[in-house]
Amino acid sequence: MSEETPIAPEAIKPVQLQVSGKTLALITGGGFIAGALIVLGAIMPAEFNTDPLGLGKLSGIARLWAPEEIEVDTNSASGPLSRDSEIPPRTDVIEIPLTDFLGGAKGSELEYKVAMKQGSSLIYEWEAIGAKKASDVGFDFHGHTTPEPGQPMNVATYKQARGLKQSGSLIAPFDGIQGWQFSNFSDGPVIIRVKLTGFYDLVPSGQEGNLAGIIANVPAAQARPDFQPNQR
Amino acid sequence: MRPHHILFALLAFSLIAPPVFAHAIGGSDAEFVRKTIGADPFPFLYLGAKHMVTGYDHLLFLLGVIFFLYRLKDVLLYVTLFSLGHSTTLIIGVLFDLGVSSHLVDMVIGLSVSYKAFDNLGGFRKLGLEIDNRVAVGGFGLIHGLGLATKLQALGLNKDGLLPNLIAFNIGVEIGQLIALSLILVVMTLWRTTKSFGRFAIAANALLFLAGIVLAGEQLAGYFLAGDT
Repeated sequence: MSEETPIAPEAIKPVQLQVSGKTLALITGGGFIAGALIVLGAIMPAEFNTDPLGLGKLSGIARLWAPEEIEVDTNSASGPLSRDSEIPPRTDVIEIPLTDFLGGAKGSELEYKVAMKQGSSLIYEWEAIGAKKASDVGFDFHGHTTPEPGQPMNVATYKQARGLKQSGSLIAPFDGIQGWQFSNFSDGPVIIRVKLTGFYDLVPSGQEGNLAGIIANVPAAQARPDFQPNQR
Repeated sequence: MRPHHILFALLAFSLIAPPVFAHAIGGSDAEFVRKTIGADPFPFLYLGAKHMVTGYDHLLFLLGVIFFLYRLKDVLLYVTLFSLGHSTTLIIGVLFDLGVSSHLVDMVIGLSVSYKAFDNLGGFRKLGLEIDNRVAVGGFGLIHGLGLATKLQALGLNKDGLLPNLIAFNIGVEIGQLIALSLILVVMTLWRTTKSFGRFAIAANALLFLAGIVLAGEQLAGYFLAGDT
């Protein structure tokens, strides 16, 4: 490109468009309104977990938000061998119904966690009833904190595997929620029966850790009243 | 693709691209910067160029600036002014530990995109304002440099070899800017010769204005909600 490339007669100095005042107002006003809508309705729910217009929840964009995660070492820890608890121990049996894998993520996968204070203990035992092979059921035993918006989340992963039963004990590494994500990969329905004993609290239905709304200490048929499997 | 298609694609991308693409020095690059001790000019040169070529808020600003610059002489003048401002605050900022919230700086950068689009639309003349574009471009250069200085400091630069690394980074920024600018200039020059330029110039600047507002709003939200600097 040479210096003398006259494309238009007015190409001697920087020029501007000639736009009527009305168009200009339309462009700037529209720009501000559309910009505000994009920021408030999409970017804030997706990036900052804030949903001033409610559009993030409505459109599902809000689900994109995930806090920054800090992995906690779950293989080594030191602490007192004897711990007193401020709350009494409790025992629960939770029956979790899972549809076959065709039931989709809402039916065949489910997360169940309990709330625990740092340092408190849990003895657990679960079995998958109705599954045949060890590869039929996947589980992700993990815990995390429930941070305020903008704060990072501590995450501890204890075991990710496939199998039909697991038992053991856990000492919570932080104040937060601890539990399992169960996935049924088989072609028939499965019930996961979880027996818990220790110093913990159940998470109310619909809250983080029990978003599926599982009710404890009732048979599987009544444990998930808010969910109807797809009729096929 | 026709030239204006490319421009609209760039604009559209800027509206949907995640903010991680904008401006940040992240991941393994950040790790590298943290670990560097002593002068290591070429990696810093590369990082500077990468920052400019992949920072779409920078690119949108450049697009706005050269929208109506027809002569290479004018382009070079504006780029030099921007670079002067940019280099000044980048080097002084890091050497003297000056820093402001990068969200606020990025917000101003977003507004600078809208400013230029508004200017291209003849808005300031309509309002009876006479703004010297050379001053504005130099001023925005200062702010862009300050933003980058803040980000570099957050990475924890080692004092050993700081100045050579900074100068290398800065040269990289200019190289990256020239690469980006050449591409935009080629597309713009091609586009200007077509009839569609007249029809789409207003629409393109309207979109540019919107993109700037979105970038600014996003950074404003980040300033109050993200919990970092």
